Amino acid sequence: MTRFARLDPVALLALPAILYLAVVYGVPLAGLLARSFVVDGAFSLSAFVAFFSDGFSWTVIGNTIRIAAGVTLVCLLIGYPTALALARAKGAAQALILVAIILPLSVGVVVKAFAWQIVLRRDGVISQALIFLGIWDEPQRLLFTEAGLVLGAANVFVPFMILPIYSVLKLIDPRLTEAAATLGASPLQRFFTVALPLTLPGLVTGVAFVFSMATSMYVVPSLLIGDRFQTLATLTGRSFLFMRNEQLGSTTAVVLLVLSVAVVVASAALSRRFGGET
Amino acid sequence: MGEAPTGAAGFLNVSAAEKTFGAARVLDGVDLSVARGEFISLLGPSGCGKTTLLRIVAGLMRPDRGRVVLDGQDITTRPPHKRDVGVVFQNYALFPHLDVRANVAFGLKARGAPADTIASAVSRQLELVRMSALADRSIKALSGGQQQRVAVARALAVEPKLLLLDEPFSALDRKLREAMQVDLKRILRDVGTTAIFVTHDQDEALAMSDRIAVMSGGRIEQLGTPAEIYDRPATAFALGFVGLSTRLPGRVTQADGDEVVVSTAFGPVRGLGRFLPGSPVLVGVRPERMALDGRGENVVRATLVDAVFKGARVQLHFHAPEGAEVQVEAPSLPAGVAPGGEMTLSFAAADTRVYPLPGDMEAALAAQVAA
Repeated sequence: MTRFARLDPVALLALPAILYLAVVYGVPLAGLLARSFVVDGAFSLSAFVAFFSDGFSWTVIGNTIRIAAGVTLVCLLIGYPTALALARAKGAAQALILVAIILPLSVGVVVKAFAWQIVLRRDGVISQALIFLGIWDEPQRLLFTEAGLVLGAANVFVPFMILPIYSVLKLIDPRLTEAAATLGASPLQRFFTVALPLTLPGLVTGVAFVFSMATSMYVVPSLLIGDRFQTLATLTGRSFLFMRNEQLGSTTAVVLLVLSVAVVVASAALSRRFGGET
Repeated sequence: MGEAPTGAAGFLNVSAAEKTFGAARVLDGVDLSVARGEFISLLGPSGCGKTTLLRIVAGLMRPDRGRVVLDGQDITTRPPHKRDVGVVFQNYALFPHLDVRANVAFGLKARGAPADTIASAVSRQLELVRMSALADRSIKALSGGQQQRVAVARALAVEPKLLLLDEPFSALDRKLREAMQVDLKRILRDVGTTAIFVTHDQDEALAMSDRIAVMSGGRIEQLGTPAEIYDRPATAFALGFVGLSTRLPGRVTQADGDEVVVSTAFGPVRGLGRFLPGSPVLVGVRPERMALDGRGENVVRATLVDAVFKGARVQLHFHAPEGAEVQVEAPSLPAGVAPGGEMTLSFAAADTRVYPLPGDMEAALAAQVAA
């Protein structure tokens, strides 16, 4: 009671959200996760032992991390320059870019994934463009390949990379870059010694967002790469929906959760370390 | 137009610089020549173009027209990192993710100087600005005055050909500002750096500069030593912006060689200037040139409104019946004079300057004629 009295009263405003999450999210999740630790009505780690001793599980974990890392990298390469352009733009141009980034979020993931199916086909835009540029000799299918999945998923998640970087960028005094220039730093040096370190908190947040979302995506891989390629998220879904193996499903869910939480915690720690300096 | 700017042999030459933002002409053909080792101030109200001129010299902005030549090289289109021009920004713009030492080392590091050269240069600069003890501090842990010193050290560490200072003291309180002025002058004299100092504070400009460029409306109104600017303002703007003055609108009644007689609210006043009879003009006199003893060609009677004790001197504000105001500065308040009393003031024609009437004072002249 005395502990509670010392709490900032404003913190009580978070109570509805906490109650909501606890009842409709926390309790069912705990129930689901608990199932992975229960074998034949008793506590056991045998489900995890079985999971980790299966070579296929490691392939799935590898797939998950590889795809998520690829998606994060593509989002970073596209998102950082976009965030820079957004921060530099003024007035109507800035509003336009912002709308162009946020509006696609309202288009459902399923719709986007189907659209990417068309783009990634053997006779799709990308294939034709690469042939036109002379990079490919003959039409190739990107659909149902890892590269196609990374491209399509990056499109879905790139706003979550742009927005945190942008929100940090716009707080940076433009005079800092000018000061670096007058001190003799070339544009490239300015980027690596001033802009990049100062945007690191936003960058870390964006990476955490995109990476954790990409590890847990289900619809996009289902439509863009299919069942032959399994990630932790699709395997969890399959276990529950098709294989009716709740033990396996809850086990993969725990592994996925641990992976995501590790990324979020690590990035929060990194963000705090650099965030204090901006 | 088209002629070589005067003093083309200067260390820095800006010629016919123009800059327009949308419909606003921020720089309207500025010529400026700065000698090596000189400390020059750009003085003017906000919006006069002084910061724009500074940014053009630094390379942070391109002029629409005109040239910038530094040390014999045309740098008009050269990017800032290849100019060798240091800048101390108004808000200091220190790198928040680096400590004091790393901030000062930044420029030398960017130029790829060897580590031991950097280390000795940094400690030398920090000593110069008396910040050696705080070398490992975070920027955020510094006071405004300390940040200012670091900013100066950082700019000087690369030994720039030219140092630009953009209102570096405006965020400091009065006492600290005066201490920093003395300090900065000492530092720049020690280093021998050529410097351009942007300020809207006339006291700062008068105290620190070898020469002052008074700017208004994108032009340099007058370029001269502090004494020249104060004693012989070239334009009505320079008269009004630097120091106190009595300013009376009037009309020339008689031209007499280098002198004219102007009909003002006080009656005829004789002053220096060449105008045709009938010209609308402004008569200006500095407060310390006004005498309370009745000696001098020009004599006016006015009512004392207020006396402000300034320590060594007294500032007296007078009102004339016609609404004109007269500023007088005297060593002391004469005995027997109190606010509300009428006095005879006098000033010599040689201390009275006559300027073309500025546009914004035409109404005052019209009102005076109507009365």
